[in-house]
Amino acid sequence: MARQLSVIDDTKVPPAALPAPPVPGERTVRIPVSGMTCAACQARVQRTLQRQPGVVDAGVNLMMHDATVRYTPDVVSPEQLVAAIRDTGYGAELPPAVEDAFAEQEARDRSQAEEFAQLKRKAIVSGVIGALAMVAPMALMPIVPHGVVNGVLLALTVSVMLWAGRHFYTRAWAAFRHHSADMNTLIAVGTGAAFVYSLIATLAPGFFLSRGVAPDVYYEAVIVIIALILTGNAFEARAKAATSAALRALAGLQPTSARVVRGDQELDVPMADVRRGDVIVVRPGERLPTDGEVLDGESAVDESMLTGESAPVPKAAGARVIGGTINRTGALRYRATTLGADSVLAQIVRLMRDAQGSRAPIQNLADRISGVFVPVVVSIAIATFVIWFVAGDVAGLQAPAVRAFAAAVAVLIIACPCAMGLAVPTAVMVATGRGAEAGVLIKGGEALQRAGAVDTVVVDKTGTVTEGRPTVTDVVAAPGSTRTTDDLLALVASLESSSEHPLADAIVRRAREAGLPLARAERFQSVTGRGAVATVSGHEVLAGNEALLAERGIVATPLRDAAERLAGEAKTPVYVAIDGTLAGLLAVADPIKPTSHEAIVALRERGIDVVMLTGDTRHTADAIAREAGIERVVAGVLPEGKVAEIRRLQHAGHVVAMVGDGVNDSAAIAQSDVGIAIGTGTDIAAEAADVVLMRGDLRSVVQAIALSRRTMRTMKQNLFWAFVYNVVGIPVAAGVLYPAFGWLLSPVIASAAMAFSSVSVVTNSLRLRRARLA
Amino acid sequence: MSSTDWLVIAGGIAAIGWVNWYFFFASRRSGAGRK
Repeated sequence: MARQLSVIDDTKVPPAALPAPPVPGERTVRIPVSGMTCAACQARVQRTLQRQPGVVDAGVNLMMHDATVRYTPDVVSPEQLVAAIRDTGYGAELPPAVEDAFAEQEARDRSQAEEFAQLKRKAIVSGVIGALAMVAPMALMPIVPHGVVNGVLLALTVSVMLWAGRHFYTRAWAAFRHHSADMNTLIAVGTGAAFVYSLIATLAPGFFLSRGVAPDVYYEAVIVIIALILTGNAFEARAKAATSAALRALAGLQPTSARVVRGDQELDVPMADVRRGDVIVVRPGERLPTDGEVLDGESAVDESMLTGESAPVPKAAGARVIGGTINRTGALRYRATTLGADSVLAQIVRLMRDAQGSRAPIQNLADRISGVFVPVVVSIAIATFVIWFVAGDVAGLQAPAVRAFAAAVAVLIIACPCAMGLAVPTAVMVATGRGAEAGVLIKGGEALQRAGAVDTVVVDKTGTVTEGRPTVTDVVAAPGSTRTTDDLLALVASLESSSEHPLADAIVRRAREAGLPLARAERFQSVTGRGAVATVSGHEVLAGNEALLAERGIVATPLRDAAERLAGEAKTPVYVAIDGTLAGLLAVADPIKPTSHEAIVALRERGIDVVMLTGDTRHTADAIAREAGIERVVAGVLPEGKVAEIRRLQHAGHVVAMVGDGVNDSAAIAQSDVGIAIGTGTDIAAEAADVVLMRGDLRSVVQAIALSRRTMRTMKQNLFWAFVYNVVGIPVAAGVLYPAFGWLLSPVIASAAMAFSSVSVVTNSLRLRRARLA
Repeated sequence: MSSTDWLVIAGGIAAIGWVNWYFFFASRRSGAGRK
């Protein structure tokens, strides 16, 4: 397995990647670990790391084959952490630092391919030797002496055990030394016992003959068991690699070079040499190499691979473009803005990698059982031997020791903690990948599980239900005012040019479109949730809601009727006062997105309540809600009010998802059980949300919840089958059916069943790749 | 039951006891010692 180590700059790691926020003086290291096959292996490495002095926290990821450790560099070094992992019997190395998410994914792919190829080779060779060991003795027995045949079988078995099955024994021994046991322990004890029994029968057949027992050997069983388990592991490795196909596809979107304008020339430059501010040229059909801002040219860009939006998005000068998307119709020249680890694609890949390796709480049950599983199975195998031996002896069965021995080995071999260990992580991995394909980035297993339980979705109005790009529809001068509407608009636009509010943007845009001159605003003051005040051309200009006017002792009565009429038309009224006197009213409308109504109907069909929260007036909010099909509206709330409303819903027993823009609504998103941010596409990882929607479409919320519910169903199916398999398999192997039906499971059949159980769990998780989400 | 049967029963009980002691109790003690 190829190994790399990356010491990560804490400032670049998305919060979801770490168990807790980084503390100054601490560092985080991600160490690839090879050889882990089940939850017990994972738990052992994790426990070992957590016990190291200087380790603040450690998490081990079975699917991604790595350990993320937060440590104090003064006390422990990455080298010591690697040594501690190796001491547990698993592989870990300290190669040069790799920080690039794409290179890391490539390295992981290489190591997975290598692991699969090696397992396949070993499985095929030992399978062929096993088949020969089963058939050849019968054919050779009449012509070759018994002792010679057994000697050849012994040599073949030792070769297979040392070459193909060596890792089972070395890892089992390493686990044993640490008072721990895993799948390797069961295989090592099972095949080891069969081997020792056969060895005694080969070297001292008289020992058996003197007790009336035939000196039978089980060499072929040892070889075939190893071959079958390796075959299962090979299938499992291939299926596990398939679970990260979505992540691989995302990483594969990054082009290796860019056409950069240098002087008068267009040069093909490797991505490592592209700098921020470089001008990049892309022709139709080419992939955009970096994020940037279009300088000239017009085209439609296919962003479906990142947002799930199938229609190409038109782009012209000033538009933002994302690296990894495909330029469809025209040529574009654009300036590179973000590169490397900061690019949107790299952020998504990093976020996906961390999410795919994260744990879902439902896994705790499987982990608790895996932790005690192996010693309990070994105890059951010993009890099986004793019961068979004594009962067989008392009942006068022939060779009770042989039957007892076969049943005990079958119990050891059929018990499979790996299926339990894979049940949840494989589902998390496939589901997060499936979500990413649809433009729904789920930041981890916990969020995935919680989203399935959501019964109330709270949506912000502006930019979530509506387009979020308001336009000025009406300008009304106050009765008796001497100012023209253009005058009014110019003054308010001058004031709002210092504001970042979406309504301010609409007013400034309208003034510019009308060719009105804008003056400089001085002493600008923004009043959260109410409006803004500044001095423009010597006048004190105030623009905001009625509450702001009331605060300043300005009476809104002359324009209240007009304001209420406009609000009833789903427009937001903005009062304007100049030098302390009411001067007029602007109305700004933000149309609802064409998909909002459909999404809200779909949510309600799934039994989910939808509540809209907005700082807007009751009238405007009601009008928007009517159009969108929302029945519950809370209007006129400030950001704190949104948090309080979510808390109130939670206290009433609801599981609440908050959908907002991730910046203005970050507090409400953080308070909710599942925070869903409509991604701005720039800083996906830093947002407080559990789920980021790459496309500003409420239907993605329906998809996120549908995916989560479907994933929970898959996880429960996986856990059910993994448990049932062991609950049924172990007693059958122990021989409970023998008294009634005379059925006894051979160790060879048990090994095939064990291999099948893991493969079936992974295959069930892979079905999520084709899940319909709406 | 023969003396061999009793021997196997005693051996089995001892082995189960040892397995559970080694993996559940001895590991806790050694873990606590290391901390």
